Amino acid sequence: MFRCVLTAAALVFFAGSTFVHAQKQTIGAPPEASNMKLVGSNDLQGRSAYQPTIHHQGDRWIAYIGHHGGTDDVLAPVNPMTGKAEPNGTSIIDVTDPAHPKYLRHLPGQEGKYESGGAQMVRVCDGKTLPKGDPNAVYMLRTFGSQAHEIWNVADPANPALITRLGGLKDTHKSWWECDTGIAYLVSGAPDWRTRRMTQIYDLSDPAHPQKIRDFGLPGQEPGSTGAVPTELHGPISTGPNGNRVYFGYGTNKGGILQIVDREKLLTGPKEPTPDNLRFPEISRLPMSAFNGAHTTFPMLDMPVAEFAEDKDGKTRDIVMIVDEAILNECGEARQMVWFADVTTETRPMMISSYTVPEASGQFCQRGGRFGSHSSNESMAPVYYKKMAFIAFFNAGVRALDIRDPYHPKEVGYFIPAITQATDKRCIPVEGGERCKVAIQTNNVETDDRGYIYIVDRANTGLHILELAGAARAVAGLPKN
Amino acid sequence: MRRAAAIAATLMALCASGVGAYQLAPSSAPPSARWREIAWPFPRDGWPAGRAFHCEGGACDGAELYVRAKRGFCNCDSGVADDDEVDRVADIDLITPRFSATAPGEVVHVGEMHGRARRYDLAILDGTSRAAVGVALSRRCDLFVAAAQGRGNANAMQRAALAFLETREMKAWVVAALDGN
Repeated sequence: MFRCVLTAAALVFFAGSTFVHAQKQTIGAPPEASNMKLVGSNDLQGRSAYQPTIHHQGDRWIAYIGHHGGTDDVLAPVNPMTGKAEPNGTSIIDVTDPAHPKYLRHLPGQEGKYESGGAQMVRVCDGKTLPKGDPNAVYMLRTFGSQAHEIWNVADPANPALITRLGGLKDTHKSWWECDTGIAYLVSGAPDWRTRRMTQIYDLSDPAHPQKIRDFGLPGQEPGSTGAVPTELHGPISTGPNGNRVYFGYGTNKGGILQIVDREKLLTGPKEPTPDNLRFPEISRLPMSAFNGAHTTFPMLDMPVAEFAEDKDGKTRDIVMIVDEAILNECGEARQMVWFADVTTETRPMMISSYTVPEASGQFCQRGGRFGSHSSNESMAPVYYKKMAFIAFFNAGVRALDIRDPYHPKEVGYFIPAITQATDKRCIPVEGGERCKVAIQTNNVETDDRGYIYIVDRANTGLHILELAGAARAVAGLPKN
Repeated sequence: MRRAAAIAATLMALCASGVGAYQLAPSSAPPSARWREIAWPFPRDGWPAGRAFHCEGGACDGAELYVRAKRGFCNCDSGVADDDEVDRVADIDLITPRFSATAPGEVVHVGEMHGRARRYDLAILDGTSRAAVGVALSRRCDLFVAAAQGRGNANAMQRAALAFLETREMKAWVVAALDGN
């Protein structure tokens, strides 16, 4: 009897301690992981991070990481390399040896807090790839807070040189740049448009001499229009002249729209922003639930689906992965997650599957901060393309999905970094005051051609470089490690 | 004495009624204007439903007011920056997607919240035209919005709506709604 009581007590204690551990992250506790492991890390000078872009530059691998603005507590963290307080901008890091990332340079951005400052977006193209670029240059396209887009020559990544600035904007966000043509789809807030974010299309094939092509958005957003204003843009992804499609994602956590656009018609069609001209290049739209937005619209065309291999038709499918963005802390909104749309018949796109982290697997609504998806990797390098996707899921870390059958996506690994002294709190209002918790906020993720996975934290914890382990490696066809 | 008894009876009736009814402050609107709560008239969308009111008497007689919190707004520091923002967020599109502003908006305050209000003409399907007012106010990273529509004067409707939002009861509800309660 006594033994039974002891066993029961031990079980209750064990269950309780597991529950507590699952709910709350503590400094010094190890990361939580399955089939993913840490290779290296960098604290990014304690700056809130958004887009990582990894570029193979000569014989080096350089990570360019965009930052949000400062926080209420620290508006401009001190750069230990200069000893000066610098508004968050772009971190440039040599990740050639991913176990020992080397911080090269912090390039300050716009003063301001959170999304009102920083330089959150970054893309990189080689001069030798751009049709009219300097072949010795490497060009970094970045946002400058809400005010401008900038192009820097980062051939020497420790000493960037400003080439071009496109200013006068009321906002910016997640732009796309085709390196083989130079066409850039700049997410901008043109002052006269009725929406905070739309697309300004530029020919940046010669970064020193940008050529404006047109403004683009949904009818109702253009200057002079009246009535309801459609959901604002989040970001586009182009398949270039070969694919001839641009997939625009509108919305953040509500009223999302996937818009499929004929790239050629977009670039060469009538440019005056009238409702008819804005509709002209559109092939179709997939309106989403009012509960979900479209942060990332990642195309994976002509995917063979094993389940359909014996079918007379439809063996391959054109898929777009749509990732919503969670905004509110502690599950204060509808779940933001990942959706897969079959766009094979382009005029009749259809949602076919979805994925979310099970909340109960970590009591994520109780952990603090945001829980839900935000973004995916956007690299189309063969190592993972159409096989695996990596999803930044805020306090649930990064999730590795087997997407070879997009009708049935399956999680095969995850990594939730440990918090540190630098990890910033996240608060919710309670009865006239605030209650704050500290949790990891994995914000964005990118992969490189070698297969390393780079995740960055919105709550100032820095960069973590990961690799797949165990069974997840087989999904990507990687050798065992 | 008879008058006092009548007033007392009216007050008791108001308190006992199943729906909320609010008398406007005399300094801000005609004393006879009263907002009676009605059912939220719109289908479910991305934001949780708010509260709706019907104005009885005074300058806003016949108008309807729709209010709700919208938690999660990216412009945490800049707040409601311009009239385009009001066009986008103030829920005028719930009434009809066809509306046009009649004039530039103006800065307004309710309690400690700052924002903008703008007046509109609505094109209703039955061919009639109505006036509307959109109000968008921010508290840090959250929004509070109000839309009013009616056949009367838009200026009077705006004054009455803002005065109603300034009442103690409504301010308490706004804070609770923005807190997620």
